[in-house]
Amino acid sequence: MLSFIARRFAVAIPTILILIVVSFVLMFAAPGGPFNAERPLPPQVLANIEAKYGLDQPYWKQIFDYVWNVVVHFDFGPSFKYKDRSVNDIIAQGFPVTLTYGFWSFVVAVIVGVTLGVVAAIRHNTWLDYLAVGISIGAQSLPNFVMAPMLVIVFTLWLGWLPGGGWNGGQLQYLVLPVIALSTSYMASIARITRSSMLEVLNSGFIRTARAKGLSDGRIILRHALKPAMLPVLSYLGPAFVLMVTGSVIVDSYFSTGGIGVYFVNAAFNRDYSVMMGITILMGALTILFNLIVDLLYAWIDPKIRY
Amino acid sequence: MFSRTTADQLAGVANAQAVKGRSLWQDAFRRFIRNRAALISLVLLGFVLVFAFFGQYLSPHEPDFVDFSLRRDIKNLGAPSIENAHFFGLEQEGRDLYTRVVQGTRISILVGVIGSLVAVVVGTLYGAFAGYMGGRIDSVMMRIVDILIAIPFMFVIILLLVVFGRSMVMLFVGVGLISWLDMARIARGQTLTIKNKEFVEAAVATGVKPFTVILRHIVPNLAGIVIVYATLLIPQLIITESFISFLGLGIQEPMTSLGALISAGASQLGFGTPWMIGFPLFFFLITLYAFFFVGDGLRDALDPKDR
Repeated sequence: MLSFIARRFAVAIPTILILIVVSFVLMFAAPGGPFNAERPLPPQVLANIEAKYGLDQPYWKQIFDYVWNVVVHFDFGPSFKYKDRSVNDIIAQGFPVTLTYGFWSFVVAVIVGVTLGVVAAIRHNTWLDYLAVGISIGAQSLPNFVMAPMLVIVFTLWLGWLPGGGWNGGQLQYLVLPVIALSTSYMASIARITRSSMLEVLNSGFIRTARAKGLSDGRIILRHALKPAMLPVLSYLGPAFVLMVTGSVIVDSYFSTGGIGVYFVNAAFNRDYSVMMGITILMGALTILFNLIVDLLYAWIDPKIRY
Repeated sequence: MFSRTTADQLAGVANAQAVKGRSLWQDAFRRFIRNRAALISLVLLGFVLVFAFFGQYLSPHEPDFVDFSLRRDIKNLGAPSIENAHFFGLEQEGRDLYTRVVQGTRISILVGVIGSLVAVVVGTLYGAFAGYMGGRIDSVMMRIVDILIAIPFMFVIILLLVVFGRSMVMLFVGVGLISWLDMARIARGQTLTIKNKEFVEAAVATGVKPFTVILRHIVPNLAGIVIVYATLLIPQLIITESFISFLGLGIQEPMTSLGALISAGASQLGFGTPWMIGFPLFFFLITLYAFFFVGDGLRDALDPKDR
């Protein structure tokens, strides 16, 4: 087990370093920097600005300083566009919002998706099963950028029940639409995976034994079938959680929640490379972290896995 | 000792069996034909393709022509109508929406198909090579895939598009970069089971070079799973491209894609012009549905496990 964890870290750490270096190199390959304004600056002013941001140093030193600051101090440096804010400030402001509804979307997707999948598996080949499969295939083709406008049409413009945007400290009515928009397609995938793995488990020998012992259906499903059936779902959940947080770029910019996605998109339009790099690296680190957690959970839940 | 007639009879039986024998592909074809959902989707897909590649000949309008006579009051004058041949109405700038949707569907499908082709060529060869070679080469090659897969690619594509300028070529490069990774894993897994079969051994024994073995004996046997996966990859790439275009970072004016059209329509939601989002959304959804169902049907038809 320990050697397994060590091996996982041996992959994770170079991955993060490569991500940092690649995004840094990309930034240098960019034609035109953040200070190439329409009206060119006087050379002396430009030199002063570049000195302030450390852009006059040799490349290798810049890369080294950047990696050092990120890894050791968790400092992503100053934003190139907002003079008075650092990338850390921007992340600290936007990330909690994103994380809040990302988390709730995750909870909703898991609960609804697993329930739908289990029900479909128990009532295999009945109208309930077909309904659940229909819903999940339908929902899978509804990515969040399609869901978002459709939800606004129905709930804001048509019914007038919920606000079409804003955050307001994360009040419930501001939370509902982003969460639905974000969770739908993941819910569908979770339902499909749950259904097929539950079907496989329900046909296996130890479930037949449990039935033969005369256990009730509810007990068989909750105590015996659910845990092994959850294994394939679990391996999907780690990447899904991170994708929900990353996929929120759309939700952030469509519902104006003030999450991290808005800053990322604005940075992309403003060529604010330090903000883009900071967010990319943060998301990469999160992805790797969650994959690691899932792998460890997997080893803990499934006794058959040996390392 | 056989008499002459028995030998003939035996030959006749053998011939009869040879005629009756069905190949994997014939079997798969029969299963696919019997799957009604997949067959309907295939027809639907045909219609979408005809629409995307020949639809512009039905309309007298050009996709980049601004109709100033109708532009002053798009809400009332720009609605879909047969008389002025604006079948889907006008979009917010006063251009013909029908020809724009034709163009957008074409570009979205092209991005999906080309990205998927990159995945097929690069991923299959990479995975087959790694799997066939085994040992250290295999583990190094697959670690590289592990590292690349852990990088949040949505962010990297956007970073690429910002750094190197937003263009079709860059979009293809970005989409191509992600698409081959899963394919490589799948191809490697299949190769591991194939390479121990007798026919590969026979090829090696007769002195065929490793690279020829991979191309002539391994890759053709991967075809089934590769086709299934490539078909299912197309809609995913269409979603990816639309996601980026929805943010305004993908396909640029005067060209368009379904994501860009949906985004434009969504921004006009409050102005009483529902056709601007309705038509692109409709074509987006039926394209995705068709690809998903055809892919599912192919999987059921070609996957030997599900017989």
